[in-house]
Amino acid sequence: MALLSPSDQDKLRESFAEMTAPVRLLFFTQALDCEGCLQTRQILDELPALSDKITIDEVNFVLEKDRAATYGIDRVPAIVLLGRDDADSRIRFVGTPSGYEFISLVHAVLLVGGRASNLTDENRERIAAVDRPVTMQVFTTPT
Amino acid sequence: MAFASRNITAIAVEATEFPDLSRRYRVTGVPKTVVNEEIEILGGLPQDAFVQQALAALNPGVPTLAPPES
Repeated sequence: MALLSPSDQDKLRESFAEMTAPVRLLFFTQALDCEGCLQTRQILDELPALSDKITIDEVNFVLEKDRAATYGIDRVPAIVLLGRDDADSRIRFVGTPSGYEFISLVHAVLLVGGRASNLTDENRERIAAVDRPVTMQVFTTPT
Repeated sequence: MAFASRNITAIAVEATEFPDLSRRYRVTGVPKTVVNEEIEILGGLPQDAFVQQALAALNPGVPTLAPPES
């Protein structure tokens, strides 16, 4: 059963139509002991049907530890967004992207897919000047 | 911000699903942003203020924690 209503699907399809670059979602998951993994899979399954630029690539967290390490993934469910040529966007989602997190995921897909960032030019310059590794963890809840 | 700098990684964490992380970073309300394990930004801020606070960790000598212009 589809999680999204037909009208929500239409809205998303319209938004995704503006994408100019492909986005691959690396979905790190495991079969056991992961309550959110199944639900995340169901949520992600909705997306490729809405845009031919979106693909989901499931990665077995237990068996593919090296791949998890490459992207710094240490728990599941987790999603890594890859852009054109599978370039790492350095945007990750840890936990089930339901509720408001789903909206955030959609925004991230659109950004990686080529939509203009809403950063002001001034902020973009300040951020571009960052010369050492920075990790920003944003804690949210679904509601 | 991750999109604007190769040096920045942004991770959205679902707080209720990972109580261990919520405890470690003392998450009592959302959204809460933790930058390099040291700077904490509570709530949603206007873009200028958010960028300023997030980058404050990188320039400790610069007084960048002034309140945003209204």
